[in-house]
Amino acid sequence: MSNNFSKGSGNSSIITEYEAKCMLKSKGITVPEGILVKDLPAKLSLKFPLVLKISSSTILHKSDAGGVRLGIRDMEELRQEFSDMKLKFPYSDFLIESMVGKGAEFIVGVVTDPVFGHMIMLGSGGIYTELYGDVTFRKIPIDAIDAEDMISDIKSGAFCEGFRGMQIDCKILADLLIRISDIVLGLGKIDTMDLNPVIVDREKATVVDAKIRLTVT
Amino acid sequence: MLNFLFNVKSVAVIGASQDPMKIGHAIMENVLGTGFSGKIYPINPANKEIMGLRCYMNVTEVKDSIDLVVIALPASRSVEALSQCVEAKVKCVIIVAGGFSELGGEGRALQDQINEMIKGTQTRVIGPNTVGVLFPYSNLNTALTPKERIYYPGRGEIAFISQSGALGLLTMDSITEYDLGISGFVNIGNRTDIDESDLLQAFSEDIHTKSIAVYLESVSDGNKFYEIVKRVNLKKPVVVLKTGRSEASSRAASFHTGALASDDRVIDGILKQAGVQRALDEVDLIDYGKALAYGKPLKGKRIAIITTAGGAGVVTTDLLTSNEYGPALDLTKFNDTETAEMKKAVLPFASVANPIDLTADGNVDTYEIILDVISKSGNVDGIIAYALPQTPKIDLGIVDVLSKYARNKPMVVGVIGNRLAKDVLRELEKKRIPAYPSISRSVKAMKVLYNYGHFLNRRGVP
Repeated sequence: MSNNFSKGSGNSSIITEYEAKCMLKSKGITVPEGILVKDLPAKLSLKFPLVLKISSSTILHKSDAGGVRLGIRDMEELRQEFSDMKLKFPYSDFLIESMVGKGAEFIVGVVTDPVFGHMIMLGSGGIYTELYGDVTFRKIPIDAIDAEDMISDIKSGAFCEGFRGMQIDCKILADLLIRISDIVLGLGKIDTMDLNPVIVDREKATVVDAKIRLTVT
Repeated sequence: MLNFLFNVKSVAVIGASQDPMKIGHAIMENVLGTGFSGKIYPINPANKEIMGLRCYMNVTEVKDSIDLVVIALPASRSVEALSQCVEAKVKCVIIVAGGFSELGGEGRALQDQINEMIKGTQTRVIGPNTVGVLFPYSNLNTALTPKERIYYPGRGEIAFISQSGALGLLTMDSITEYDLGISGFVNIGNRTDIDESDLLQAFSEDIHTKSIAVYLESVSDGNKFYEIVKRVNLKKPVVVLKTGRSEASSRAASFHTGALASDDRVIDGILKQAGVQRALDEVDLIDYGKALAYGKPLKGKRIAIITTAGGAGVVTTDLLTSNEYGPALDLTKFNDTETAEMKKAVLPFASVANPIDLTADGNVDTYEIILDVISKSGNVDGIIAYALPQTPKIDLGIVDVLSKYARNKPMVVGVIGNRLAKDVLRELEKKRIPAYPSISRSVKAMKVLYNYGHFLNRRGVP
């Protein structure tokens, strides 16, 4: 699927996951606590368990390339995984992040439609997006009513009322959608954006992975 | 800006012909035979007179100003004829011929000449590649299909904008079955100038138009369409039948979820965001247009069903309350007072639980008592009423009763059958009550009244 993302439209360039997350964070969007490093630092203030990823704007399929390690429990395990990874990708930067807790998974995206321009997308995350095509679109900019309607359009919107012990705060998800819409409107140069997954619980909506492609003029 | 189209005072037909095999003949017959009271100028250098009217060499020979010109010539000659129209300061020109951008290449270049020619002038163009326009309130019909082959609708409240000419004509022919009228029809064809958005804007300002039905295969200018349809729909409900997939599907594929993010989902989102009801076929398109033109939007989702045929009530309930096949609306639970009042009026074996079944013994008077109770009920947001004239005690009097209560509460009427049923449908049409010849069509009509009401409510429109 990431290969599709890499096509983009016309002249465009992908920014790294780390850059994307810094940008999102600067706009008030929650991303996992993390650091970008070349080598493993002696001391780490991040909360375990951790994720270790290569940071690259060319390798989009990081998992397939063996560039992602999840659920690293302690420093010792991190050292081991890091040295393995360093052997594989000697020239790469690495992103070390705290893992995000349980919640409902969503996918949030932005595409540039040739007829309607910037469209924001919300989908039920994980396999539901692929299996059921459970996604909905709106034209940017969206307002609070549009954001609420988007959430009730998709099946995972049911988590707002609670389902099988999972309860999320939909105002937080709606707020994320509006913020993304505002970012795109403000920046203008976004070509595509792919936030997948976004993990939502009762307190926050965390963008766990982010791919952003900018329009190059 | 295009409002003059609703009140055209003079029409010229370039390529008007005596030859019944030529479309210039059928167009002349339609213009002449619909009671158009303005001036008509046949244009054809080969004739002195056509159908009893003086025939002109070209439009510039006509000394009076011309509101509308129909060019019924082949593509290449249409462009030359257009230049004369521009010179004569004609307000609007309908170019009938195909053979333009839909062919690509040279056709595209020919169409570009049209745009170049009218740029900065006061002349506007409908088409090319169009079957024409129909405005029943000014008795203007420039369609190219002769009257022997098709019924054209009379005056009504639904505006009909169609990208397809043939489907537009077929749909109009179909709706005359129950005497449904329209406020206007425009086949935009290749819409090199006037597009769906321009007409949405124009019809939104037309006094006869209560709802607007649009058939589209693609959208010409997405931003313009979205801005206008969103604004118009708050004032006059819009229904869109959108078909086909554009390049957008492949473009959307550049996105991570590309395979899922088809063009259709983008369109779906745009229409939802604008609160526009989406139709899936030509029957839905006009059915929904009618519901929204004649009916009142719902303020809630509690529906009362009244019928004289138990089965019709049961099927309605199934469809209406289903979230899989229907709109997932609720059935009203009547309170004790309401139940007692209704109980007094009906036979002992009739049911006053919802659906209310008066049985085959139900008569118009009882029907009225029940309608009176449920229309006054604060627990009812909408009524689906079956007017079934096959039993002896239901006659055309039912139409007056229904029309009395349809003023106060959102109501959809279902009429099933043929012999007497069609008469009932036509009478209901005269009273501008949204009535449908099947259960599922009645339920779908209620669905759009609910959806539109919900949208208005969300947007704080009273």
